[in-house]
Amino acid sequence: MDTRKTTNRDPLFDALRAEVGRLDTPRGVERELLQAFARQHPARRRWYHGLTGRGWALAAGVSGLAAGALVLAFALHTPDTDGDRAGALAARDDSGLFIALDSAERIAAEPAPRMVAADVPRASLAALGVPLTPENAGDSVRAEMLVAADGQPLALRLSAIQ
Amino acid sequence: MTITTSDTELLRQMRSGGADAFAALYRRHQGPLYRFALLRCGSADTAADVVQETFMGLLTERFRFDPLRGQLQHFLFGVARNLILKNETAHQRHVVLSGPDDEDGDAGAEPPDDAACPLGRLLDNEAAEEVRRALALLAPHYRDAVILYEMHELSYAEIADVCQVDIGTVRSRLSRGRAALAKRLAGWRAMAGAA
Repeated sequence: MDTRKTTNRDPLFDALRAEVGRLDTPRGVERELLQAFARQHPARRRWYHGLTGRGWALAAGVSGLAAGALVLAFALHTPDTDGDRAGALAARDDSGLFIALDSAERIAAEPAPRMVAADVPRASLAALGVPLTPENAGDSVRAEMLVAADGQPLALRLSAIQ
Repeated sequence: MTITTSDTELLRQMRSGGADAFAALYRRHQGPLYRFALLRCGSADTAADVVQETFMGLLTERFRFDPLRGQLQHFLFGVARNLILKNETAHQRHVVLSGPDDEDGDAGAEPPDDAACPLGRLLDNEAAEEVRRALALLAPHYRDAVILYEMHELSYAEIADVCQVDIGTVRSRLSRGRAALAKRLAGWRAMAGAA
């Protein structure tokens, strides 16, 4: 059985091979086939593909309302959260607000806290929000500190800025 | 490094809706298919129609290719050949000619489109055009074998597969087709040699 590939093609066809080898199907055929393919395999439509202009406007309105409601809910919720955190981080007595330097559990669990007056460098209080400028960086701030029995500072109250 | 995706993989992607895969298959195979159809039926318009119908059949799965049964290109040649035969059968009620080269008892030769009309010139090169015209006057079943062997480098077995005949028939058709071509081109060769 002769199944060999042609290796000794007839030279009579050389010119025809060269001439015909340059020819391709007209471009219009590919275009029509691709259009037929697109009809055969339409792009998968998502739910939002079906929305009209009015539908999009409605969807945008609903989304905006939802976003607004969400922001409002967060805004209303935030004070509570801050309140909780404030409960954990600060406490108020008749003389003013204490800033917690340790956890609320640790402070509450302390059996014998004591109050100590101290001058604290302003620079070290910058992290707590005390205004700091080059002019007052070297100053100190009068504070009352709640200290544990072992000397660990638990909370701080700024009584006067010197 | 270019990695060529196999026809089978492109077909799988095409059936999953991959337009790019279909385009890649088309671009890979349209050229040989068009050239085969052009030489086989002798008309650029008919050849384009045949290519389009072949790929449309592949797309709609009217013609289902089985990778286990051979190469896609040979399958496409077979589909194109059948479409051309169908087209020729439709024209046979108008013109029935049996060429003198039809010696193996097959159906009579259906002249190509441009042979039924005045022989239209398809190619610029004179030698190429002479061979094309001589080829166009061969009986269709000889033309199939000669075109697939000489122009597309298919083996006897592959031609047998495309034409749905046995290898012995391919061999005899090829031999007779070449002899008929040589006879037809003898006069032109003598003139060309003298010139």
